[in-house]
Amino acid sequence: MTPAISVAGLTRGYRGHLALDRVTFDVERGSITGLLGRNGAGKTTLLRILAGQEFPSAGQVRVFGASPAENDQVLRRMVLIREDQVYPDFKVRHALAAASWCYPGWSSELASSLLADFGLPPDRPVKKLSRGMRSALGIVTGLAARAELTLFDEPYAGLDAVARQTFYDRLLADYAEHPRTILLSTHLIDEAAGLLERVIVMDRGRVVLAAAADDLRGIATTVSGPVLAVDDFTAGHEVWERRQIASQASVVMVGPLGEGDWARARSLRLDLEPLTLQQLVVHAAAQPAETTNAGSFAAAAMERTSA
Amino acid sequence: MREMAGLDEGAPLFAQLAGRLAEEIADGGLAEGDRVPSTNELAAYYRINPATAAKGINVLIDDGLLEKRRGIGMFVAAGARRRLLEERRQQFTERYVEPLVAEAARLGIDTDELVGLIRAASHAEASYTQEGITL
Amino acid sequence: MRTLVNVARYHLTQPLIFVGMVWAIMAFSFAVNLAIFRLVPATSPPAHYTGAVSIIYVFFFIMGVFATGRSLPFGLALGVSRRSYYTGTALLAVALAAADAVALTALQAIERATNGWGEELHFFRVPYLLDGPWYLTWLTSFVGLALLFAYGMWFGIVYRRWSIPGNVTFIAAQVTVVLAAALLISWLHGWTGVGRFFTALSAAGLTGLLAALTAALLVGGYATVRRVTV
Repeated sequence: MTPAISVAGLTRGYRGHLALDRVTFDVERGSITGLLGRNGAGKTTLLRILAGQEFPSAGQVRVFGASPAENDQVLRRMVLIREDQVYPDFKVRHALAAASWCYPGWSSELASSLLADFGLPPDRPVKKLSRGMRSALGIVTGLAARAELTLFDEPYAGLDAVARQTFYDRLLADYAEHPRTILLSTHLIDEAAGLLERVIVMDRGRVVLAAAADDLRGIATTVSGPVLAVDDFTAGHEVWERRQIASQASVVMVGPLGEGDWARARSLRLDLEPLTLQQLVVHAAAQPAETTNAGSFAAAAMERTSA
Repeated sequence: MREMAGLDEGAPLFAQLAGRLAEEIADGGLAEGDRVPSTNELAAYYRINPATAAKGINVLIDDGLLEKRRGIGMFVAAGARRRLLEERRQQFTERYVEPLVAEAARLGIDTDELVGLIRAASHAEASYTQEGITL
Repeated sequence: MRTLVNVARYHLTQPLIFVGMVWAIMAFSFAVNLAIFRLVPATSPPAHYTGAVSIIYVFFFIMGVFATGRSLPFGLALGVSRRSYYTGTALLAVALAAADAVALTALQAIERATNGWGEELHFFRVPYLLDGPWYLTWLTSFVGLALLFAYGMWFGIVYRRWSIPGNVTFIAAQVTVVLAAALLISWLHGWTGVGRFFTALSAAGLTGLLAALTAALLVGGYATVRRVTV
């Protein structure tokens, strides 16, 4: 089946700088993929081009096999929720009504239920909504649309932790009942980590890592304790970072750990802390600009999948 | 999400989930013939992607610990508990005995003293169960 | 097709704004005019002309500006191509212009029949432009309203693409074109010719000219919307 999204050599330049630099990746149907990276990495530009709201400078973009730009057929099957959405002089219910006409999969019951969950008053003018409320409106629209391809661009601006949790829970619940393809751009990675099947990490306009989330878990570990024990334990493994103070050392070691390793660490009095997805992403993004998808990351992930 | 009901970032989530369910079976929480929660229920509880939950369940099905009954759900297979406990027995030495012996050696506790300590601990355990505190 | 209907529905989400407000303001203005002429003692010119009906034209211009300047971003966000958005909006405008023109024509007829509402008020009759047979009145109103909406739409799109500096440049460009044309005509000593052309022009002819201008504005707006980003 054609992938939901297929991007090849996508480039977008503005005066003097490249927002996207030969970006290439696929997103399969029926999955939740995280689009991760720092601010300014190019995530927003990418999402806007996917939604036909921006134009590429070069390269190919295919959504459900066709180019999305100016293509009503494809555009109808997708929704992009942005935190900086400009609305006309609408009330909340007007915005939702308009969305209900334009999205064939729209669910009014889900919309009502979500309005209640977020405490969004339907009769309030959108202009008068707080930042968090506007985000909530975006989320309600994005979820109730049940679009085959749902794109979220950091949709949680202004939402407190409880509301964000509500978002993740409702997203998962509706996704389980009505599977679709979701691409969620976020910089709050650890919060969303459980949702994501795949992650695409961007930095400075390039894709620096694309892998299954589970392949990345446990791939690197911080080993801390007495210097000699640490060095003994990490001998022969690739090391990303090494810090030392007096006779204590802390080293980030690559390579999955088995039962035996944990037992050994205990006996050596070493502290093991697996790197979270967030930390892994930070590391991937910090690689020098010349490395693309090659490097220890991908290699380690490969090892994991073949194991 | 930080609160994935105890799942962490140390290993693939699907593997952790499979491990959790296996432990539940081994500990007797899920008896043979009991219905296992559905993929969606597990996903909601652990706050993970349903596909991940499904993968974890499949691991257990492939290992023969769970069986799928069409249209009804997933159930704990016959003999699952016994097999899991057998596996645990085999891992017992590597997981518990060897580290125990190594640590004792480091602390200079000789074998006799070690055996004495083990006996004492067994008595304490026995009196716990007598008082009705079971696992 | 469904998309175009959705665009129209989108604009009419708040029907009062698009339809009701115009007529509310017209009614208010009309009432004020009527009251004034009732109160003011009869003076020599028997016919009292006001230019107040131009309000509805100004309104169509403003609606055009808002239909793109304000409503375009969310419209595109709802999964509509720029082409469809523009076409749907333009079609809606044409329909509204036609409908409102009917209303204007009807009111003009009533005005004639009641002798200017009993006060010789020429509210819905404008000399030369809107004083003739009903079908011409309808046509001229229709084209006039459509023209102003199209003009407003183009302004709105320019705003979306290039903000205020864009609008300023847009106006400057138009002024330049007009000035250049005037200079050209002067240089060719063609003012008498131009004058003769316009005096000989009937209301129908003028309407035709305006229709051509409307078409040009619609094409200009369409060309500009193709690469707008929101």
